[in-house]
Amino acid sequence: MNDPLKNLKSSMEKSIFKDFSFSNERKNAVRETIRTNQQAQFHIETIIAILESVQYESKDGYNISVQLFQKDERTFQKNEGQLYTLLHLLENKEILTSNWLNNKKYYSLNSKGKKYLATYKKDTDKQGLSLNPFITEASL
Amino acid sequence: MNELNQLAVTDEMMLDEREQIIDQLMREYSDDILHLVYTYVKNRTIAEDLAQEIFIKCFEKLNQFNQQSTIKTWLYRIASNHCKDYLKSWHYRKIMLNNKIFDHIPSKLKQVEEEVIKHSEENSLTNAVMNLPIKYREVVFLHYYEELSLKEISKITSVNINTLKTRLKRAKELLKDKMIEEV
Repeated sequence: MNDPLKNLKSSMEKSIFKDFSFSNERKNAVRETIRTNQQAQFHIETIIAILESVQYESKDGYNISVQLFQKDERTFQKNEGQLYTLLHLLENKEILTSNWLNNKKYYSLNSKGKKYLATYKKDTDKQGLSLNPFITEASL
Repeated sequence: MNELNQLAVTDEMMLDEREQIIDQLMREYSDDILHLVYTYVKNRTIAEDLAQEIFIKCFEKLNQFNQQSTIKTWLYRIASNHCKDYLKSWHYRKIMLNNKIFDHIPSKLKQVEEEVIKHSEENSLTNAVMNLPIKYREVVFLHYYEELSLKEISKITSVNINTLKTRLKRAKELLKDKMIEEV
């Protein structure tokens, strides 16, 4: 008796897999995601600037971008979409939390975010302190 | 701080090279992977979404690929695991609960998924295979459709070759019963 499963391939091709292939649109979507992920490498200063912008009050994406602009943080200039990618990422890492209010998503720091910010500031303060004597010395 | 630094650090591996590899994988295997995913999830749109995620995952994990297996086997392994994760996920278990229930009811009572129904008259063999429990469906599909050797299937699924042989044998018995029942 021959193996009835020998026909499986042609049987499937004619039925459930008929006209079912991984389309070019899907392939392009993969390429696009890969490319965005590649660009999604941010400087630590950018992340800190975001954390600082929401440390006292929650803000929506637009107000965060305004604040970053005022701080002369230009990473997202002409590329605002990336800001939302990063906000989303920080939310996934549980550094930011968010809540919806009037159809806007407001971001704020949660405990993990506060800790990161505090640690970062402590580290830079120390560096600042250790640099200060030299700066004063040099200016004398 | 480490986690934040990781986010900020640039990956050193040649990005262009990785992108080309994924391109090539998509050119050669994307339909096979899509069909494999479909046999797990039985839904075209979900299969396409998952296949997309699988290629992205491969890109991210490419530097973890150790040349111990072929890249094809590696890709299949990622795909198979990704599908199983999906089937275990909250989304699937809650939203697709109905499907899950019918997976566990003995085959005779099984309702057949919409898409399968459409083709049921045309093809009872496909139908019967698609209604096998996952562990049998998987090995039958990989062996008879993707035409992989038991050794390769063993690498993909981390299941012992002898167990695979038993499953194939059992799958054939189940299929025979089903086909006789239908006639």
